[in-house]
Amino acid sequence: MYEKDGEKYFVFDGHLHFWDASPANWKPGAEEYAKGWIECFHAYMGLGPAETHWPLERFQKYSADDLERDVFQNGHVDMALAQSTYLREWYTNGFNDLARNAELLERFPDKVIVNGRWDPRDGEAGLRQFEEDHAKYGFKGVKLYTAEWREGSRGWKLSDPEAVPFLDKCVELGIKNLHLHKGPTIWPLDKDAFDVTDVDHVATDYQELNFIVEHCGVPRIEDFCYIATQERNVYAGLAVVIGAHMHARPRFFAKLMGELLFWVGEDKMLFGSDYAIWEPQWQVEGFVDWEMPEGEEFADYPRLGVEGKKKIMGLNAAKLYGVEVPAEFQVAGEPADRTASVGVESDGRGAVV
Amino acid sequence: MSLRARAVAALGTVYDPELDEPITTLGFVAACVVGEDAVEVRLRLPTPQCAPNFAFLMAADAAAAVRAVAGERSVSVVLEDHYTGEEINGAVNRGEGFDGAFPGETAGDLEALRRIFQRKALLARQSRLLGAGASTLGELTGPDAERCRTLRAALGIDASDEAPAFVTGDGTPVAASDVRFRRMAALTAVSLEANGGMCRDLLRTRYAEELAA
Repeated sequence: MYEKDGEKYFVFDGHLHFWDASPANWKPGAEEYAKGWIECFHAYMGLGPAETHWPLERFQKYSADDLERDVFQNGHVDMALAQSTYLREWYTNGFNDLARNAELLERFPDKVIVNGRWDPRDGEAGLRQFEEDHAKYGFKGVKLYTAEWREGSRGWKLSDPEAVPFLDKCVELGIKNLHLHKGPTIWPLDKDAFDVTDVDHVATDYQELNFIVEHCGVPRIEDFCYIATQERNVYAGLAVVIGAHMHARPRFFAKLMGELLFWVGEDKMLFGSDYAIWEPQWQVEGFVDWEMPEGEEFADYPRLGVEGKKKIMGLNAAKLYGVEVPAEFQVAGEPADRTASVGVESDGRGAVV
Repeated sequence: MSLRARAVAALGTVYDPELDEPITTLGFVAACVVGEDAVEVRLRLPTPQCAPNFAFLMAADAAAAVRAVAGERSVSVVLEDHYTGEEINGAVNRGEGFDGAFPGETAGDLEALRRIFQRKALLARQSRLLGAGASTLGELTGPDAERCRTLRAALGIDASDEAPAFVTGDGTPVAASDVRFRRMAALTAVSLEANGGMCRDLLRTRYAEELAA
């Protein structure tokens, strides 16, 4: 819970990790990739305030005690959504797989939700595994990382036919929230791996599911915004947008927020810290304090008020995940409203790009 | 002008296809060394896991640009500290295409990808010219206008002075007052600028020690 100027914010961190990227977990033969991956993440931490930077060794592997302090004590977080990312080609026991995330569930049962995952390339066996995992953990959502390398394949798309049984299974099991995370590779390699148009296809086909596009599609925020205006069940995960820009480049951050508020709207935006890349504390406090700057270059953008900040900080995600939020944190309007209007109505013309 | 100066100038014509900025101003050229028989260019990127397709385009474009001015000397390009650097360097220095770097993992060459980003770049550049009150391309001046001409020519869109000032990615003329066009153009410009800023920050973080030295 975070309180500022008499206003109380329920903080739902929609994107955090509990990873082990220590050298002991680097897969023999893939050490270069495992090392490069975590050092890349560590460089992203450099975009936050200097006093929040960690040494690499601590960043590679942190404890549940660290997480408790950074997220729940100092970070104001009421509910944390741990996203499972496997990367087993690079990390022997996975980067942060379900078993590791489940340690958090045991320790913080009332404060943690763990999302599952699937990979369409795993086929029938993967489907069975997903069912078993769901029977054990009772998922409300999954994290899908399309750039994961697997036996010579460097990625997949949501619109691949192999994904259909998995999407159908999510519908069947009532797992409604699909968090999509794009990465730098895909098959075939000559295509733009960050392209989010596959989300457009499945969001149209699966109206009963919610598609939360992590990092708002960055570095393809323009494509994401365009899709979000067309599809009522597409949401923006703000992880990275806040962490990488709010401190490092406040003017760009304001413009990104302005575009998101215009195209996507405050009902469809979800806070995420991406811990341990960045600690939640400075992000929560900074975001609640944030105001759209004055000046002509920001004049066309919508403003974000206290109610909007409360929705983005937690009420929208709580709604999607069925988490009950006490009345003292609530706002007048309905959060995460699918029918909330956005800035641009489609007029039937194609994209102008 | 020395060969090194000409090589560096040639590298200044190589653009990051996603960011629409020269690799020289982005800081991606770590070194350009002219020896008696050879020119070696060393490139570095903001992360070890930058997308291999864009990394390949920059390495291949850099090799082609320097080869055009290097005369008898051989030219090699080394992409440093990248997780597919070995594959990319090997193919670029053998003069092969993207499929040579990643056999069996490609469906086509990278020109379709390049065109997508030229269209985005054109849209972003135009967003900064919409206030000029121009109706023909000839009325637009400055670096953004020059870049628009280059991008239009590359995309096969009329880039003559008499051509319409503003066009969509497929070359369809559009009015500067078209709200939807203005919004999409502004959004695309913000995206490219923010990505460029993040790349600069990550590069600086990654190579902070070398830059300070």
